[in-house]
Amino acid sequence: MHAQRITAAAALAAASALVLAGCAGGNAAPAADVTDEPEYSGTLSILTKFGGDPLGPYFENLAAEYEELHPDVKVELIQETDQSVKDKTKTLTASGALPDIYFTWTGNWAQNFIDGGLAADLTEAIGPDTEWGKSFGEASLSAFEVDGKYFGIPLYNNGKFMGYNTAIFDEVGIEVPTTFEELIDSCAPLRAAGYEPIAFGNKDGWPALHYLQQLFAYNVPGDVLHDDFTPATATLDDPGYVAALEQFKTLVDECTDTGTGTNGVLYTTAQEALAGGRAAMYYQEILEFDTVTAEGNALTPEDFGIFQLPVPEGAKGEPGAIEGSPEGYLINAKSPRAALAVDFMKFATTPESATTLSSPPYGQPSTVVGAVTPETSSVAVFDGITKVNEASDLVIWLDTVTVPEVADAWLAGGEALISGGSTPEEVLESVRNASDAAE
Amino acid sequence: MLLTQQSRPVEGVTAALPAVAPSPRAPKRITARRLAGLAWILPAVVVLAVFVYLPLAQNLGFSTLEWDIYSGTQEFIGAENYQRLVADPIFWSSLWNNILYAVVSLAFQVFGAIVLAAVIESIRHDRWRRGLRAIYFVPSAISLTVAGLLFYFIYEPNLGLLNHALDAIGLGAWAQPWLGQESTAMMAIIVMSQWQGFGYSTLLFAVAIQRIPSELYEAAAIDGIGAVRRFFTITLPLVREMTGLMIIVTISGAFQVFNEVMVMTSGGPNNSTQVLGTWLYRNGFVRNDFGYAAAIATIIFVITLAIALVQLWINRRRRVEW
Repeated sequence: MHAQRITAAAALAAASALVLAGCAGGNAAPAADVTDEPEYSGTLSILTKFGGDPLGPYFENLAAEYEELHPDVKVELIQETDQSVKDKTKTLTASGALPDIYFTWTGNWAQNFIDGGLAADLTEAIGPDTEWGKSFGEASLSAFEVDGKYFGIPLYNNGKFMGYNTAIFDEVGIEVPTTFEELIDSCAPLRAAGYEPIAFGNKDGWPALHYLQQLFAYNVPGDVLHDDFTPATATLDDPGYVAALEQFKTLVDECTDTGTGTNGVLYTTAQEALAGGRAAMYYQEILEFDTVTAEGNALTPEDFGIFQLPVPEGAKGEPGAIEGSPEGYLINAKSPRAALAVDFMKFATTPESATTLSSPPYGQPSTVVGAVTPETSSVAVFDGITKVNEASDLVIWLDTVTVPEVADAWLAGGEALISGGSTPEEVLESVRNASDAAE
Repeated sequence: MLLTQQSRPVEGVTAALPAVAPSPRAPKRITARRLAGLAWILPAVVVLAVFVYLPLAQNLGFSTLEWDIYSGTQEFIGAENYQRLVADPIFWSSLWNNILYAVVSLAFQVFGAIVLAAVIESIRHDRWRRGLRAIYFVPSAISLTVAGLLFYFIYEPNLGLLNHALDAIGLGAWAQPWLGQESTAMMAIIVMSQWQGFGYSTLLFAVAIQRIPSELYEAAAIDGIGAVRRFFTITLPLVREMTGLMIIVTISGAFQVFNEVMVMTSGGPNNSTQVLGTWLYRNGFVRNDFGYAAAIATIIFVITLAIALVQLWINRRRRVEW
């Protein structure tokens, strides 16, 4: 009995110690000095969002070239997709195993890493006055600026546009709509001609948020919208929100074939509907332009056009706003190879690398000045990036601009709106509650 | 055949040996043997401690924290995460979905599987019997992730096989966006899961039925007892042990369901297909609320532990031998 007690006490003590050890948390490591001369040896780990075709080979080729230049350096790639990179990043963060270089979106996503001391301050390396910094567009660079410090390396720009099949538009005899109402009106004749007017798949939830964020930018005054992204200043009571939610519901009901069942369709299925010539339109990112017109698809680059989601009549927001933002990479502030990481990212953003990235089959419009030209990029990518550069305001994706609890409420709300489970007012109420709770 | 009480474990192997006078060196030898025994089980104990009990203890600790994974800061908040659970409607709807999953699984994978196994084993032709067993077992050989993807495409509203099939037989009005609406999504996932697991439990019951002496069925047949009565009076009582085990395994599995939901709906639309596992995941990996996720994990652990204890209790009851 005595031995049993001792064993039990020891087990309890061990368990408590382990729990407390778990509570201690934190990653103790020396701060990175990104201005050091890089030491060309060791393994450099990189978490990318370029998993799968056609983007996968981009970093693979880059890594191979870098290893050839520096034989003592081994580049270890962790390539994830748009969806899986979110989980992977958080798992690596929680376990204190972030790689030397890792992918990031702008907005709250990047802010978390910056606030947590996990993103190296790159001001001295990439600030606007540095040689490297001058090679980027100013707006792209400032997307990762916080309190005058620069933390991110913008790799490519992005924006959301309605891609359409010009041959189908010609066949049906409709013009590019100039208002949201004209867009809705164009759906009936397209359907009558045997095409799905707008292909849309919302299985992952975020495609609905892309429509919503663009419509919010049109319907809600800019200063109110930006205040509402932060729970501490959010009121989420502007009537423009309900108007935007109603407009989105109208689009889903009248212009998509699946209507209330759109939550059961993958966004890639919708993408393929446009690429296969079965749908007339598909709302997409610039990053998808070269995918829908890739060789072998029914939709050719010559028959592919883009236009900004038309502004609803009487909308009180910013008609020149485009939803989009650059995407880029952060350098782990606790990485002992931070200087080498900076050197690799400089290599990844040379004019040659930037041109390769902007050209088919990758079609990711580089943030490096002069990389996207009609000669290097497809017509649509060049057109899209020009429009992004000319936009009066760039609005970051709704699921990354705000805190996760609010983004999650928008995700559930978008799905409920589509399926008819909630009214626009109910969706807004649920988001407001989430924002209040997050405050 | 005997209905016997399971024999109580003998207290130590030495209890069965004839008593002998202990030699003067016996205590030393016993201590050495004890130490050797401990040394043999030590690796297993260490592995269990590190990979089972340590994470359990850590999880319990995490559930009392507000944990920012980015800064690494962890603040002790006591039972606050558990209080939030009680007030969280999605936690309750997730729990309900797990219960629904368990109930349907019991109906199909336990009681349905017994009936099917009895039907298959009653087929006289050996080749047919083997063939049917293999046919029903094949879905179980497919991983849940692959089966989930397969059914995702079967349920797809535009291109899916199910809606096309309904259309082809004149039931086009019944076509639904099965995974795209709150009213059908959870049942659509559960149906896939039954398809995947049904054959496995059928096979286990078939093995249990094969162990029943054929004389019992022959005697019943001579007495003019029909197939249905034979099933209720011979088959069902004599596969009771397997039935008990399958009930426990099925309920326990229903509270750990994760893969099929993640692949098919990720818990949507509008959180209608959240189960405890996916709600845990969403709170941890989407909302960055790892403390709250740990609290959900603790609840799942408590539920599955309770089920395991029931299993242990059932195993102590009378068993059938012949």
